[in-house]
Amino acid sequence: MLTQREIISTLEMLRNENLDVRTVTLGINLLDCAGPDLSYVRRRVAERVMQLAGQLVPVCERVGQKYGIPVVNKRIAVSPIAAVGAALSPPELVELARTLDAAAREVNVDFIGGFSALVEKGMARGDRALIAAIPEALAATERVCASVNVASTRAGINMDAVLMMGAAIRRAAELSADRDGAACTKLCVFANIPEDIPFMAGAYLGIGEADAVINVGVSGPGVVKKAIDRALASRPDLDLGGLSELIKKTAYRVTRIGELIGREVAEHLGIPFGVVDLSLAPTPHVGDSVGEIFQSLGLLAIGVPGTTAALALLNDAVKKGGAFASSRVGGLSGAFIPVSEDLNISEAARQGHLCLEKLEAITSVCSVGLDMVAIPGDTSTDTISAIIADEMAIGVINSKTTAARLIPVPGKKPGDHAVFGGLMGESVIMPVNNARGDNRFIRRGGLIPAPIHSLKN
Amino acid sequence: MNKAILSILGRDRPGIVAAVARVLFDQNCNIENVSQTMLQTEFAGIFIVSLPGGMTAEDLHRELDARLAPIGLTVLTKPCDHGLDTCAAAACEPFVITTRGPDRMGLVAHISGVIARHGVNITNLQAMFKGGDAPGDNIMIYEVDVPRAVDLQTLAQDLRDKAADLQLDISIQHRHIFEVLHRI
Repeated sequence: MLTQREIISTLEMLRNENLDVRTVTLGINLLDCAGPDLSYVRRRVAERVMQLAGQLVPVCERVGQKYGIPVVNKRIAVSPIAAVGAALSPPELVELARTLDAAAREVNVDFIGGFSALVEKGMARGDRALIAAIPEALAATERVCASVNVASTRAGINMDAVLMMGAAIRRAAELSADRDGAACTKLCVFANIPEDIPFMAGAYLGIGEADAVINVGVSGPGVVKKAIDRALASRPDLDLGGLSELIKKTAYRVTRIGELIGREVAEHLGIPFGVVDLSLAPTPHVGDSVGEIFQSLGLLAIGVPGTTAALALLNDAVKKGGAFASSRVGGLSGAFIPVSEDLNISEAARQGHLCLEKLEAITSVCSVGLDMVAIPGDTSTDTISAIIADEMAIGVINSKTTAARLIPVPGKKPGDHAVFGGLMGESVIMPVNNARGDNRFIRRGGLIPAPIHSLKN
Repeated sequence: MNKAILSILGRDRPGIVAAVARVLFDQNCNIENVSQTMLQTEFAGIFIVSLPGGMTAEDLHRELDARLAPIGLTVLTKPCDHGLDTCAAAACEPFVITTRGPDRMGLVAHISGVIARHGVNITNLQAMFKGGDAPGDNIMIYEVDVPRAVDLQTLAQDLRDKAADLQLDISIQHRHIFEVLHRI
């Protein structure tokens, strides 16, 4: 028999604390769709997506309804298109992106990720073509997401790729200037990209993965915040060790939901279940914010001194609680701090509590990086690339994933406001040091070697 | 072996279970299952017991009534037959239906009526009505077994329609969600 407390607290989490499954992401292997003929590749890709993903959304809706848990987003991640379309030219890859977009619309998923290349050690012909195609592919499509892994702890940082990505980001912003550069919200530059991220914009299906797989991204910052608030209301003297335990238990609960829903969706679709990504992923809604957790922990706002320590505690507790709750953990697994997607974080930036440098510092202890950061539209390619390089270095040296999702908002200056719409949210334009300057260090190119601790064999 | 089912009602106080169990022990009856609960100040207990050879449920009732009535307990006793368990016969899925909303007469009758109409068995019901309009003060929790043959969508829609008429907020969720959230 269930206790009344178990039932009421579950309903509270669902109704008032925004507990949900943030995304069920179907990974689809497209490597055998490769070929030199664009029309052949387009046809094979469209067929494969329709064949495997046709039932994804109805099944997620049905399973979500059975348990009373909304599956907010249904998404697809495909094999890196730089490999699938290795024989294609940049204009042909843009056409392939349109095919992916149309297929995503057809099966009613909100995003399809995998317009991606892995270039941490060097670039092949298909990688160069894909990076050249990214700006137009993102501007011309609604649902296609792109990611490029330019660095890893084992390979170092490919600075030529970093420079190319700085240029690609600027170009993508220009091509979507009428939407505040929104094409850049679908583009991530990574160090140590995992092969099984269910979250966008970084989701793609790794080369080492099977034909198809279901990965799940859980969320629940609102649940964590409310648990902290309740605990502190009844025990105001609770110390940080006690709060860490509380966050662990809460993360455990949130993750169990993801595991349950993911496994059942996978079973219905006849596709193997992959991983749960234990991330605290916010949305631009009050009560669904990672930033609010910092305030519940006792900080004035995210960004003030103490933020890095608080995030370290939060991130670690989420991982520990989640790891116990799931049979297989993967993806990014930690707390996200996307500025525009989190009302509270974007407000902290507007009030000046959070600057780009502090944001960079705290990415050393969280699961992603400089995420959804709106910067002045006239920020130079050199400076955008330099910001990426700094972020990559944090990932490479600390053997962790980091990413940069920067939006140089055309025509806007520090303090102005950018609106990206929907889940992408809105944000103040954050000032950038030496925004318009050139950067000879970055322009030297080449490969920053892998750190000494990469020599593990 | 003969079995009997007993229901004991009375104002709650220490010693009720002990008094009942003493009579059963003295009569050489074996307790197979007990469930007891308290609602406000009242005790209610249900016992299933196996009877020694030759004893009937009526015999046991006479003995129980003679010894428990003087201490304010009401006893109902009847033979326990072994009809088919409705949900053992048909494969079922366990769901939990929860409602919250303003108190009014007939809430249980209306909601349980919809549940019954679909052939769904209530396995546990907890309801608390403090009155007034505060949703948290008036809660019904039905644990139910839904036969696989029952169309869940139709059941859920009928329940939602009825809840809307009654201004109730209703959830219909598979029981498993509560277990995975709260239990290891």
